[in-house]
Amino acid sequence: MTEKQTTTSAAFFATLKRDLLIAFKKKNDIVNPFMFFIIVVSLFPIGISPESDRLTEIAAGVIWISVLLASMLSMDNLYRSDYEDGSLEQLLLSPHPLFFLVLAKNISHWLVSGLPVVLVSPLLAYMLALPSEAYGTLVLSLLLGTPIMSLLGSIAVALTVGLGSRGLILAVITLPMSVPILIFGTLAVQSTLNSQSPIGYISLMLVMLSVSVSLAPLASAAALKISVN
Amino acid sequence: MSSAAPTTSPNSDTDKIMLAARELFCARDERVLFKNLNFDLPQGQVLQVQGSNGSGKTTLMRILCGLNDSYEGSIKWYGQEIEDQAASFFSSLLYIGHRVGVSKVLTPVENLRWSCSLKQAVSDEQIMDALKEVGLRGFEESPCYTLSAGQQQRVSLARLIISPASLWVLDEPFTTLDTKGVAMLEKIMQRQAQAGGAVMVTTHHSLSIAELTILSLG
Amino acid sequence: MWVWFSKLGSPKWFYELSGKWLPWLIAAMVIFMTIGLVWGLVFLPPDYQQGFTSRILIVHVAVAGTSLAFFPLMLVAGTVTLVWRMKLADMVAKHAAILGAWFSFITLATGSLWGSVMWGTWWEWTDSRLVSMLFQLFLLLGVISLRSALEDSETAAKACALLSIVGCINVVIIKYSVEWWNTLHQVASPVSLDPTSPNGPQFWIATLIMIVAVYLFLSVSLILSTRNEILERERRSQWVQDLVLKN
Repeated sequence: MTEKQTTTSAAFFATLKRDLLIAFKKKNDIVNPFMFFIIVVSLFPIGISPESDRLTEIAAGVIWISVLLASMLSMDNLYRSDYEDGSLEQLLLSPHPLFFLVLAKNISHWLVSGLPVVLVSPLLAYMLALPSEAYGTLVLSLLLGTPIMSLLGSIAVALTVGLGSRGLILAVITLPMSVPILIFGTLAVQSTLNSQSPIGYISLMLVMLSVSVSLAPLASAAALKISVN
Repeated sequence: MSSAAPTTSPNSDTDKIMLAARELFCARDERVLFKNLNFDLPQGQVLQVQGSNGSGKTTLMRILCGLNDSYEGSIKWYGQEIEDQAASFFSSLLYIGHRVGVSKVLTPVENLRWSCSLKQAVSDEQIMDALKEVGLRGFEESPCYTLSAGQQQRVSLARLIISPASLWVLDEPFTTLDTKGVAMLEKIMQRQAQAGGAVMVTTHHSLSIAELTILSLG
Repeated sequence: MWVWFSKLGSPKWFYELSGKWLPWLIAAMVIFMTIGLVWGLVFLPPDYQQGFTSRILIVHVAVAGTSLAFFPLMLVAGTVTLVWRMKLADMVAKHAAILGAWFSFITLATGSLWGSVMWGTWWEWTDSRLVSMLFQLFLLLGVISLRSALEDSETAAKACALLSIVGCINVVIIKYSVEWWNTLHQVASPVSLDPTSPNGPQFWIATLIMIVAVYLFLSVSLILSTRNEILERERRSQWVQDLVLKN
């Protein structure tokens, strides 16, 4: 019983490392949402207009909405395989606070699904004729917004992990919740375009991120316990 | 089974009882699985839970581990409520369920590194030795999807060898094992009981273990 | 165990108690509803600015005000479900979600009916109340679809309780962020839906009566559907079978 129990941080990093390892072994799970994001963004100019003026107007919204959809698509594999192979039960039976283990899983998920999308966004912004002075704000807003999406989505995935066929229920639950992030993310970019300071929106998103980081893993942990019950 | 508390020298006696369940009641969607269920699990004992299909064996195991909380009654760990000492309880507990907790894309070593480090620090030598003991020598670095169901089961059983947990809760651990595997697991369980630990196991096998007691459900 | 006691005891207690209250509530509802509707839709003088269209507002404002109560209600019910495991709270929450979705829908419908006359359009994105009501409807539909997807009733109860709590927090954030978003996008401000615009005190009293009527309607429908739910879920218990035999 008293034998060299691991510290919570060791368990945290072991979980982070394991999830990253799994992600790199199952490359499809990383690559597909990423490709989906790029393809969806490329469809908009074809569907709406190739004129750069009109594209400039919708660029921020298009990128943001595509990010939301892509993150929705990638959320599904956050807990599913763990649920199916029983690793989730082992996670729940750890003596360490579930908050940190869930957080580790969320961070690893964001690193492989959110971060690549953020990194490629300037390229897509260029293709959508977004003026270059807004790139910084776009990347910054995505950098703050995508982790919030991962954290919120994690709650919905945890609630639906026991369902055989989840299909679109995840999107139905999570997308309405993403409205505030969408609003502040696009407003930040828009205000840069109007040569105003986006700092207010960015700091609001920072507040939302810190609130999500401290509360969402608790809800995810509770949801996992409910689903595994 | 009687629920009478030991009368003489309560301290030394209750110290030895690891897990005590009193008046357990569980209903699943209006169907009563079990009621008035009482049992003690002292140190050094293997408790085999028997019962027909659907009698609630798996549910009982999950309730004891805290994975399922839809029950009434009390479960005490060394005489105290589990919630009051959750960290100590969970680090002493090792559970292997129907889903063995082995990720198919990872190798046995990677799997064990993670699942063991959720509870205690573990070295690669310990993992290698354990894998050798469960008969997986030469498979240490193959992804688990290349292994058979029985071999995957053995990966999870390797945790029993590595872990210092004093309470094992094993749900149908024999199903996918061959005869050699069954003998091996029986040996490990016996060793655990002799070392002062306790095992709770569901199986339809008749186990050849000296320290065995049987609990029948429905 | 008192937990088990409350689980078994409450639905029966609620069923009997609500059975006594129900006639009074229905009577009060009918009285308020009749006064509110007849006065509001027939006798109320036309607004000097909006004309007879203002009469729609009486229904709209009452329903809209009531539909804001659903998420707080589900927050309370969800907390009770998760903390005290009271089955009754879950039964209320289940029907609150469905009723809430209907109320939100009616709010949107009456709102756009009014808007079609006053703004000349059925849908107006610049009205933040309509937009946040739309997202409240989506969130409620999410809770309903989660419940219908989960088979095990206990898992469904807890999962929906958690989602309602998260949803309630979220709906508040959505409301404020949509309002903010709106103030920045207000290109041409249409006639305000704000009932503080010149309307006589008569209008206010009629609206107030209507609000009380709609709240009574909400309570009556919630109680009726919860009673149905109780009978269905407890159909195997002794007291329900006695009840059936008696009638």
